[in-house]
Amino acid sequence: MTPLNRFLACILALFTSQLVMAGGEPVLKIVTTTGMIKDVVQQVAGDRATVTCIMGEGVDPHLYQPTSADVRKVLGADMVFANGLKLEGRMTEVFEKSRSMGNEVVVITDRIDKSTCLESPDYPGEHDPHVWHDVTMWASGIPIIVEELSRIDPEGAEIYKENGEAYADRLNALHGYITWVIGTIPREQRVLITAHDAFGYFGRIYGIEVLGVQGITTESEAGISDINSMVDFIVDRKISAVFIESSVSERNVQALIEGASSRGHEVKVGGMLYSDSMGAPGTWEGTYEGMIEHNVNLMATSLGGTVPEGGFRGARTRAAEGS
Amino acid sequence: MMLATAGATWWEAFERALLLRDANTVWVVLGVLALGLASGSVGAFLVLRRRALTADAISHATLPGIAVAFMVMVGMGLAGKSMIGLLVGAYIAGLLAMAVIVLIQRTTRLKDDAAIGIVLSVFFGVGICMLSLIQQMPAGNAAGLESFIFGKAAAMLPGDALLIGIVSIIIMLTLAIFFKELGVLCFDESWAAARGWPVLALDFLLTGLVALVTVLAIQTVGLVLAIALLIIPASTALLWSRRLVVVVIGSALVGGFSAWLGAMLSATIPKLPTGPIIVLVCASLFFLSLFLGRRGVLPRWLGKRSLSRRVDRQHVLRACWEIIESSDEEDISMGDLLAKRSWSERELATVVERCMRAGTLQRVDGDIIRLTSEGKERARRVVRNHRLWEAYLVHHADIAPSHVDRDADAIEHILDEDLVKSLEQLLGASAGEVPRSPHAINGGGGAA
Amino acid sequence: MELVLVPQRDPEQPAKHQLGPEHSPHSPLSIHDLTVAYDRRPVLWDVDLDVPSGKLVTIVGPNGAGKSTLLKAALGLVPKASGRIRVFGKTMKQQRSQVAYVPQRESVDWDFPISALDVVAMGRYGVLGWCRPVRRRQKEEALVALDRVGMADMAARQISQLSGGQQQRVFLARALAQDAQLFLMDEPLASVDAATEEAIIEVLRALRTEGRTVVVVHHDLQTVPDYFDHAILLNMRVVANGPVEEVFTPEALRQTYGGQLTILSEASERLARRSRVEHP
Repeated sequence: MTPLNRFLACILALFTSQLVMAGGEPVLKIVTTTGMIKDVVQQVAGDRATVTCIMGEGVDPHLYQPTSADVRKVLGADMVFANGLKLEGRMTEVFEKSRSMGNEVVVITDRIDKSTCLESPDYPGEHDPHVWHDVTMWASGIPIIVEELSRIDPEGAEIYKENGEAYADRLNALHGYITWVIGTIPREQRVLITAHDAFGYFGRIYGIEVLGVQGITTESEAGISDINSMVDFIVDRKISAVFIESSVSERNVQALIEGASSRGHEVKVGGMLYSDSMGAPGTWEGTYEGMIEHNVNLMATSLGGTVPEGGFRGARTRAAEGS
Repeated sequence: MMLATAGATWWEAFERALLLRDANTVWVVLGVLALGLASGSVGAFLVLRRRALTADAISHATLPGIAVAFMVMVGMGLAGKSMIGLLVGAYIAGLLAMAVIVLIQRTTRLKDDAAIGIVLSVFFGVGICMLSLIQQMPAGNAAGLESFIFGKAAAMLPGDALLIGIVSIIIMLTLAIFFKELGVLCFDESWAAARGWPVLALDFLLTGLVALVTVLAIQTVGLVLAIALLIIPASTALLWSRRLVVVVIGSALVGGFSAWLGAMLSATIPKLPTGPIIVLVCASLFFLSLFLGRRGVLPRWLGKRSLSRRVDRQHVLRACWEIIESSDEEDISMGDLLAKRSWSERELATVVERCMRAGTLQRVDGDIIRLTSEGKERARRVVRNHRLWEAYLVHHADIAPSHVDRDADAIEHILDEDLVKSLEQLLGASAGEVPRSPHAINGGGGAA
Repeated sequence: MELVLVPQRDPEQPAKHQLGPEHSPHSPLSIHDLTVAYDRRPVLWDVDLDVPSGKLVTIVGPNGAGKSTLLKAALGLVPKASGRIRVFGKTMKQQRSQVAYVPQRESVDWDFPISALDVVAMGRYGVLGWCRPVRRRQKEEALVALDRVGMADMAARQISQLSGGQQQRVFLARALAQDAQLFLMDEPLASVDAATEEAIIEVLRALRTEGRTVVVVHHDLQTVPDYFDHAILLNMRVVANGPVEEVFTPEALRQTYGGQLTILSEASERLARRSRVEHP
């Protein structure tokens, strides 16, 4: 190529790349409450939206107090996605204010059939908000997100639909993985004891008994009787591991371990589960899939199950290679 | 999902708690018991020194201390939630708050209440902001720092209980050692300073102990309720006794008992958070004492009522005596009695009824009554006392008010013998007999 | 008929009493150039005086004259802008155990849960020293002091149940229990009944007989010649200082009290007449 032709080719390449990029410029500004919702929305929206979340890593959504910066973010967003079912206990006023100003606030669980939700044992009439631990339920939120994004941005509707379906496939595979791994845990050991009742939906769909010391919300405080009952249970059922959570104080769990130890039963800390928030952003555990997989692998290894080589991603690659 | 204590009855659950069958119960009971004893005893001095609300400022000020300690420890790469580290931070912040209060009082015209209010709210507000910042920090597990606001007594670990126990013992030993010094400080600060006692240092000692108790309390009942454990036991003890030693020990016992009972209740009934229940038990003891305690509302009311009834009966007896003194008849008519004082027919009838029940009066016929022999004896004493008191009041008007005790059974119980003799002489009576009425002597109506 | 409090010679502490202040040639209380100011407002100005030993001394003056402040400044309870205080020749710090302070009654919370005996026992705290508990011996010594003021039968009484005069006597008993050589008393006879006043004066006179020095801030000019040997007339500065007969003149009183001439001149006339009768 002559130097002139090379120069012209470069200019052409530059223009076309600009055209391509222009197609991928973010159009929407989305704000979500939890990181889990952010991940889903980001997967669906792709490049068409910048998605930020208010409650990051290690944050307890039950207790989270929004700062004025958060409120500004919410009011300035094109659309806000929230979990609902009183998870974001301290943010209801902010949402109401946002709606009254004409902003779009989508509470995902409002659109789910409530009969599929677990009733809260502590608060009659209320539901357990921790729906993201049931991968199928979480996947059922994808069409809602697709619909809402398409409504305010009809031009991206196709893209949203495509992304949504692809992500739903991935979640389906994850669901299969979890079912298999939990199945490897010996039946008597299929008990999950954590600091608060976050894993109700997980237990229901994957067949594992779930108990929390503090109750549905971290706003309540455990009494001595509750701790003793839990210790009884651990000792009677010879539970081998209990779990602490990333966003909840581990004092209660420590008390359980010491209590069981005093009765001659050694129960160890199986590890830290991601219950109400994900891991560090940028890491695998900082995504929804990574968060759930981390939990599952931890449960399996602590309670006597097996984890396939390379975990979920390893199994997925092998499945892809195999087919 | 919460477990109910499977199948146990209330009594079985309570028994299990009482007999300390669970290790967790033991640790909690030991921890809160030690806390209750220590906070009760320190609280006694705090209340008597009238510094109760500064303790509230100190407890609220621990929050930024905890937050800073957490950030410092994380910054240094240590485990952010080492209990000792957090408590040291809390302690330092508490002392700092006290220093700021003193500074405000000394350098501005603001008094106690304003200074305390400012420090309390500012420190606490800063603490909340810091917690909010920490929430956003990427560094691991910040969860659980808010548990200091409301406490987490039920999750007491053996190490925590040991720490609380040791520190409580140190606190109580210190109070015992410096008992008389702190007593003088609370009672008469200026005299103590004049005697050369280092008042400032002693005040600092007391503040240090209060901050120490607060730091123990924030792990169990939380910083919002810590003030309750300091003030309520002491206030309860003051309703029962007026001796300093008894008040301090009683206060400790009330604190300890409330803690123990609160723990028992929390161990018996599911979903009963330990810290708040302890405070509620303590408050109930206070209200009970308020009504039933020796210096409480009910005994005082009963005492007043009994006194006023006794006085009424004495009036009637005196009136009867005066009537038969000037006539020579035994019979007294209700009409005559009615004229003696400004009482209504109904009031008089009621009191006469009571006297009859007491055996001092007897009804002869319809409107006529008589003194019984016991009544005569009682009336004699009442009249004699009354007349001697009146003479005393007249002749020693300047000092009388502090000594006159009309309620006393005998004037000799209050005034000394020589004085009584001199009064009798004044009225022209010989020892022990009923003198004439001073009014009569001074030219009023009357008797020979 | 009073019991005289015999100072217990503690065998562990012989040295303290050997060169005791009762042998000291120095004035019990020596004040030089004392100036005290609150927020730049002077309360005491260039006060210069020596209290004579073994006498009943009174400080009189109008309200706000600085009488209480004078005692407090001598004790180091309020900061002084300038001046030097000496007690029996030494600093107040060195001689604190020899100085008994009876503050105004209002300075104390009389609702405090404590008995009369325990208050008086505080007078023995200095001898006990730090951290030692109060024992029976201190309580016995306190009882002796209470008896001296005629309140032995009220020893177990709560101070909240005492009358004003009785409270004052308890304060005095506490000072007696201290077994000090110099007594500084702030308005001890204010609002007490006549019997208490007499009792207190009797005790003060007994102290004088024992060679101790008593300085009393007094409110009632009428009684000054009856009770006191030596008077200090104070109105921010010392107007007069000397034996009562010499110093208690109408002129001096006028200077001290300023405006209220008629009442005071009457009072001073009466005093003058009385002193002429007593010392013809």
